[in-house]
Amino acid sequence: MKILVCIKQVPDMESKFKLNGEGNWYDGTDLAWRMNEYDEYAVEQAVQLKDQLGDADLTVLSIGPERVKEMMKKALAMGCDRGAHIADDDFFKKDPFEIASVVAEFAKDKGFDLIFTGMQSQDRGSGQVGVLVAEMLGLPSITTIVDFAFDNGQITAKRELEGGMKAIVKTRTPALMTCQLGLNTPRYPTLPNIMKAKKKELLSIPVSELLKVEAKQETAKMYFPEKKGGGLVLEGSVGDLVDQLIKILKDKTAVLA
Amino acid sequence: MKTLLVAEYRDGKVLNSTYELVAFAEKLGADSAMFLVGSDSTLPAYTGTLYLADVGKYSEFNPAVHKQLLLDVIAREQPDMVVFAHSSYGWDLAPRISLALNAAHISEVVDIVDGVPIVPVCNAKLRRAVKAKTAQMVLSLQGGAFGLENEPSGSPTVIPIDTDTAAQVEFCGYEEAEAGGVDLSKAGVIVSAGRGIGKPENLAMVEALAKALKGEYGASRPVVDSNWADHGRQVGTTGQTVSPKLYVACGISGAIQHLAGMKKSEFIVAINTDKDAPIGEVADVLVVTDLKEFVPALTEKLKNL
Amino acid sequence: MEFTREIYWNVGDGIGTLLPMYLLTFVSIAILVVIFMKRIKIYRQGQALDRLDHLPERILDMVKNVLLQSKVLRRAKGPGWAHGAFFWGFFLLFIGTCLIVVQADFTDPLFDVKFLKGNFYLLFSVVLDVAGLVAIVMLGGLFVRRYFVRPKGLETIKDDAIMHGLLFAILISGFVIEGARMAVTEMGTYLAYWSPVGLVFAKGMAGLGDESLRSVHQLTWWFHLLLVMAFIILIPYTKFRHIFTTSLNYLFADRGPTGKLVSLDMDDEEAESFGAAAITDMTWKDIFDADACTQCKRCQDRCPAYSTDKPLSPMKIVNQIGEVAFDKPQANLIETCSKDALWACTTCFACQEICPASIEHVQKIIDMRRNMVLMEGEFPGEEVMTAMEQTEVNGNPLGLGYASRGDWAEDVGVKPLSEDADVDILYFVGCYASFDKRNIKIARSFVTLCQAAGIKVGILGKEEKCCGEPMRKMGNEYLYQSLALENIELIKGYNVKKVVTTCPHCFNTLAKDYRDLGFEIEVENYTVFLEQLLNTGKLKLNSGELACTYHDSCYLGRHNNIYDAPRALIKAAGGQIVEMDKHRAEAFCCSAGGGRIMAEEKLGERINIKRVGMAVETGAPTLLSNCPFCLTMFEDGIKGANVEDKLNVKDIAEVLAERLA
Repeated sequence: MKILVCIKQVPDMESKFKLNGEGNWYDGTDLAWRMNEYDEYAVEQAVQLKDQLGDADLTVLSIGPERVKEMMKKALAMGCDRGAHIADDDFFKKDPFEIASVVAEFAKDKGFDLIFTGMQSQDRGSGQVGVLVAEMLGLPSITTIVDFAFDNGQITAKRELEGGMKAIVKTRTPALMTCQLGLNTPRYPTLPNIMKAKKKELLSIPVSELLKVEAKQETAKMYFPEKKGGGLVLEGSVGDLVDQLIKILKDKTAVLA
Repeated sequence: MKTLLVAEYRDGKVLNSTYELVAFAEKLGADSAMFLVGSDSTLPAYTGTLYLADVGKYSEFNPAVHKQLLLDVIAREQPDMVVFAHSSYGWDLAPRISLALNAAHISEVVDIVDGVPIVPVCNAKLRRAVKAKTAQMVLSLQGGAFGLENEPSGSPTVIPIDTDTAAQVEFCGYEEAEAGGVDLSKAGVIVSAGRGIGKPENLAMVEALAKALKGEYGASRPVVDSNWADHGRQVGTTGQTVSPKLYVACGISGAIQHLAGMKKSEFIVAINTDKDAPIGEVADVLVVTDLKEFVPALTEKLKNL
Repeated sequence: MEFTREIYWNVGDGIGTLLPMYLLTFVSIAILVVIFMKRIKIYRQGQALDRLDHLPERILDMVKNVLLQSKVLRRAKGPGWAHGAFFWGFFLLFIGTCLIVVQADFTDPLFDVKFLKGNFYLLFSVVLDVAGLVAIVMLGGLFVRRYFVRPKGLETIKDDAIMHGLLFAILISGFVIEGARMAVTEMGTYLAYWSPVGLVFAKGMAGLGDESLRSVHQLTWWFHLLLVMAFIILIPYTKFRHIFTTSLNYLFADRGPTGKLVSLDMDDEEAESFGAAAITDMTWKDIFDADACTQCKRCQDRCPAYSTDKPLSPMKIVNQIGEVAFDKPQANLIETCSKDALWACTTCFACQEICPASIEHVQKIIDMRRNMVLMEGEFPGEEVMTAMEQTEVNGNPLGLGYASRGDWAEDVGVKPLSEDADVDILYFVGCYASFDKRNIKIARSFVTLCQAAGIKVGILGKEEKCCGEPMRKMGNEYLYQSLALENIELIKGYNVKKVVTTCPHCFNTLAKDYRDLGFEIEVENYTVFLEQLLNTGKLKLNSGELACTYHDSCYLGRHNNIYDAPRALIKAAGGQIVEMDKHRAEAFCCSAGGGRIMAEEKLGERINIKRVGMAVETGAPTLLSNCPFCLTMFEDGIKGANVEDKLNVKDIAEVLAERLA
């Protein structure tokens, strides 16, 4: 079985964000990078499936500058077999459609039985790429899965819906899944696997070889949101704060009436 | 400007998010038509054309088929915007439509400024104005971003639609959320606990404050995931979307999923040690203090009022 | 008449006595040697480890610890003294017996030299007589303790019954022999008074008549001999073996630095396994430790995990390793010891510090943790795994953005070395004092104190990473070494003369563990550094009223023997310390060591609350600590124990900064 896992490197959300010079994305300095949380679930699910089947070939793909290789090594250490790094320093300027096209272009002749992606990225958060890849490749896709079972080509997944409800959906391979928090607990790579990962295949392909479309949208500008009007910040001793808040609640709400 | 609103239907009911789409069209002053895979026995309260496919025939979740039904309607209506809720239904279907239309899809729109959609980035720490380069646009709207001004009303002109497209996936039904639920959407006051409460034992102080305010207590996803509170108490996109008169967020930094689930609240108080936490973005009052001291003190004072 | 006695009186010194006696002795010793050889084979299942470096010092340590019973008596109460006194009694009897053998079978028959005579014989008599009495009384005391008023946790097995029985029998039969001989040969003589205990036995038996006494004497003599042979044979079979193994463990003891863990070789491409899961992953010394353990339970009594009802007993871990080595070498060590027990350790070092047998508990636990983490990716909870991942991403277990690590220093006039490297000291701040609002006060106070003393301080700012201590103690040697190597390269690049830390965990790690990775710069703890500034008059303090108690952190105290500098500082600031019952080397952990700062305490009572309770008992309103982890635990513990009205906690640096002159 051939499996593709698509992952993205994102800044840690605790980082101090600054805008870049063009004002259309965040600046890369002083950011700590990590694997997109949802993509970790994708990697883990692929590795769990490999464990279940005993035999599967896992390719992990990521688009971005040189630094994303560091994160790809983590995916390799978690159990992916080979890496395809699509080298692109301008990845952030590409819209979900372009990114999906690049992935689809890479995957089209390779006969992947299953593709796992995160349900969205933590930075851009469009939630589109996985579905678009599936559509481009003509595969069925199930989004936002929180449970996955595989049996002889039959996939049974649970989609997370609002309000904690889940939808049970079935399909057959080849297919694409986008993974949501709650699907699994990503493993911590073991040291022998970290060592092995250093020797695994990690090819770099220039994005120009795979990009054959143009963007359908662009960032006009990026900015920090203004605080909602009346956003009052109270600081001080606990006793004073309690009194102040009660006064505000009395003035502005009806709940203490 | 013409919009096609993609209504949502689940478990035999039209979802409220549908009316946010209507509010959005109204805010834009745009004409609208509506698309729904639902039932003529439970029609949305909407004045206008409703393209209705029979859910009995096409099922509540069936992307390939819903896609074709919707594309047929788009071909007839030629809308400038196809508008979805950014929900489990919307974010699943919208990209499929955008690809088929060769149109830009802009996700999780929170606002439209000068005709340009605004979307959050990085857990709502940043925002982005996104310009479509295509004439037609697919939008999915963040839950709660476009609130209802008025109670939805009206009755649609129904145009039944059909297709013979084959399904790619099989929808086998729902699994209910774990029991123990309380209907937070009806509560007037909600006091919610986030991971900032530190330890499960501290949930008691949040509960006590909720009681003193004659409300219910809720929890953020991490708190529920840690089994400190049960799922029925979860506020946020993966829990319940709430709109109480007063929402008190205790130790909730404000992950976007949470913010989206509570920002419609009339008055929001956040209690947090971190002045810069994203919850501050939606809070009317941010109390910067240690909640472990503040919450019991507030509770005590409220009891003696 | 010269004082002496006839050796082999009544049993004869002919071949009929000597042959069976020496034959038996030879056979017994042969059995002892053979059985020990077998045990040595078991020890050798373990990995190699050189413990014969500094041999002269090692031998000296062993002799001192055996003869003076120094470790047994250290901070010991009754049982320690009973063991010591019994040992000295029994040892003198052994020496006495040897002297008899030397004279009767060697110097006398070969050279006609007798030395057991005259005044020396009088001394010999009285010393051995009293030694025997002391041994019996002490043994009796230990017997009562073990079988009648047994303290909690004192495991009693078959060995203990055999040992008590045999020792009593040997000692009493010895007196019976002496009594019977004296009743026949020494009644009414001056000499008899030099064997007072023997005389009591003699008087008791005097009525039997000479014939019977001779029979009793002869029978008992042979019986006594057989008992002694049994004793020799039983040494390797029972806990008697500690006579050899514990003594040798003083020879093989870890020579420090205290608490420095063994570094794993991360560049070893051939290595397939890390840490210990099988007995063959342990060193021979780890197995030998099990044989050296006498199950005195001192480690267990002091273990903060054990005393808060967690499933860890350091003694049990040591013995479980022994069980695996001897009885089920295929068994998995981690499962045998139980994961919960292994995760519960705070590496407070109380076990190892007190162990009278020089056993090394902590490294064993870490070795097994290393296997769980590095080979299985297992942690005590998801929160720990998250903390590890956070550290990989942001260089701190709190998961806060690394770029804000130096923000606390922006308005106190301290620059990162990247901006100004010309400083007197590099202050290695650590994660908690960098990011946690409460602990930032420590960092600010320390800087204030240094500035007042005219010391120019620099920090690494956002370039600093966690020292790696919590990760290392949790078993994540890989993450530790990557953090350590980055810090080392960074610090070396700035030509730093001295590093000072306010965190004892950073201190111990930089000062000891980093040495294995090529870090040689001097590292000092802030209490020692500030005390020097105080002593040289650079730091001037007002001495105001300050009633307090002081908590010796594990990593400043037991790991580094820094007990006096912090107390001197507190006193200089006017502090009057009311010591807690458990202080200095006996101090009770705060719960956060061993990487437990990253873990939830799910089992048993809370350690920090227990320690806060001890502080409250002193009646002092302020608890002073010297460690960000302790401070964090006590802040929580004070709330958890609901004693906010009785106790507050501060770091020494905070108190000193308040009292700057």
